[in-house]
Amino acid sequence: MTRVVPNGLAAREPALALAGVSKRYRNKALALDDVTWSIELGARVCLLGPNGAGKTTCIRLFEGALQPTTGHVELLGTAVGSPKYLAARRRTGIVPQGPGMYADVTVGEYLGLALRLYGRGDLSRVVAVFDLGQHRDKMLAQLSGGYQRRVVLAAALLGEPDLLLLDEPTVGLDPVATHDVHAFLKEAMEGRTTLLCTHNLAEAEALCDEVVILREGKVLIHAPLADMRQRAGPQLLLAARQGVEPLLAALRKRGQSASVAGEDDAVLVPLEDAPSQAPNLLRALLAEGLDIYRCEPSRATLEDLFLDLVRSKQ
Amino acid sequence: MISPQRRALVAKEFRQVLRSRGAVLSATLLPVLLILIIPLAEILGMRGSSTPLNLPVGTPLPPGLEGLTGNPSQFFVQVMLPLFITLGGLIVPSISATYTVVAERESRSLELLIALPVRLQDILLAKLVAMLALATIVVVPLFAVDAVVLLALGTASPGYVGLLFVVLVAAVTCSIGIALLLALLARDFRTANNLNGAMSGPLILLTLAVLVVVPGEARLLALTAVLAAAGIGAYVVGLRWLTFERYLA
Repeated sequence: MTRVVPNGLAAREPALALAGVSKRYRNKALALDDVTWSIELGARVCLLGPNGAGKTTCIRLFEGALQPTTGHVELLGTAVGSPKYLAARRRTGIVPQGPGMYADVTVGEYLGLALRLYGRGDLSRVVAVFDLGQHRDKMLAQLSGGYQRRVVLAAALLGEPDLLLLDEPTVGLDPVATHDVHAFLKEAMEGRTTLLCTHNLAEAEALCDEVVILREGKVLIHAPLADMRQRAGPQLLLAARQGVEPLLAALRKRGQSASVAGEDDAVLVPLEDAPSQAPNLLRALLAEGLDIYRCEPSRATLEDLFLDLVRSKQ
Repeated sequence: MISPQRRALVAKEFRQVLRSRGAVLSATLLPVLLILIIPLAEILGMRGSSTPLNLPVGTPLPPGLEGLTGNPSQFFVQVMLPLFITLGGLIVPSISATYTVVAERESRSLELLIALPVRLQDILLAKLVAMLALATIVVVPLFAVDAVVLLALGTASPGYVGLLFVVLVAAVTCSIGIALLLALLARDFRTANNLNGAMSGPLILLTLAVLVVVPGEARLLALTAVLAAAGIGAYVVGLRWLTFERYLA
């Protein structure tokens, strides 16, 4: 496991911590396998991983909905399940993954309940921020998916929490609703410790500074996004009319490593210094008869890094 | 003293129970039939009747029925009425549990609740209090009508009516314990109804057995003890097994 802690954060109190945690469900499935990681106060961390990697299990452990089979879980410096845990939960806003909606509880009643349970908050402010005023008397199940997510976000933010746990907050939403939720999240995450569990890598890249990647219940990497991007290095994206295979063959003949880009009709060539190396490479490829129609410097996206990492460790 | 958080949870649960027409109708109609209509029809119909029960001579009777066959009115008041009251008390909480607990699990709306700062014990406590409140609202007025009629006609003494009320309370308490188990075990309506039958069936048979086996004044005390023991047993098993993981499964 690579563990990189951002400079200056090491001495701070961890907002979330899993120490030697394993979780085996009653059906014997091992969701987490001796996992240790923590995030510091103020960090905005994205929890990534393929299906079944253990992401939601991590969120549920912090939420107190699951107990670890072995190991220790802490939320805001408090052991989950300890007498002080409820106070820590009152400083935590949670957006669960695609929850069911009450058909017999109104928006106003649910937010009112959240207000009483957090013991603080400004109900009229969150109703105004999330534009829920005209929906206050509607049953939760009657709202559109986008507004349902707004209500859940509003409830999570009502108590002005120090920490946000977001489990796939935009899953199942249409692009417009996703855009709206992203706008709310960007503002809500400002200055707050956040753990965002998502499959949407663009979302992770836009909203987070650090990433924890899980696979099969183990941590593959925990690093700042900037470090990951730097590690990937600069690349040159090339596309030829003849297709990917002739292009790859020509590059290999020149001893140049290359890989198919995410979009499939182009290849990525790692180059230390694209401005000086790319013209020569391009001239050579054109001389070999390849009709290059695209040649541009590129930085690896989080999606490239994620796929590369997950595939390489399989 | 109940904290504001618990009060808010109880209010939510009670509102939901009252909004569920199925729960309210089922939880009202059956007790009306069992605690009010059938008993009153029998008590008023047998008023002044002295015709003994038509049993073949020499038929062996269990101890609880001896001495009652010559007086149908007393047979009803001492054997059948406690049975109907027990059934009425058992029904309301188990029906409301099916609607409030199982519906929430089935629709996965429970996830919305546990996303808020709340303890599992508080969630369940609120549900049980809401069930108790509904049961009280439904069965106590019905029982009060029975009590007034029994006392007005002189069919039962005030002490006996008081004991019948204790049986009703024990039945409701027992049913709430069963509802707790139901909350842990049933994930959908069908399972909830099956489990409800599986748990209530033996209890009803046991109630009948106590009523016909235990003679005299001890009959209702024994029934109260059996219902209380079953209820406490259900609470102990339920609380021992109670975790968020099981509840959310």
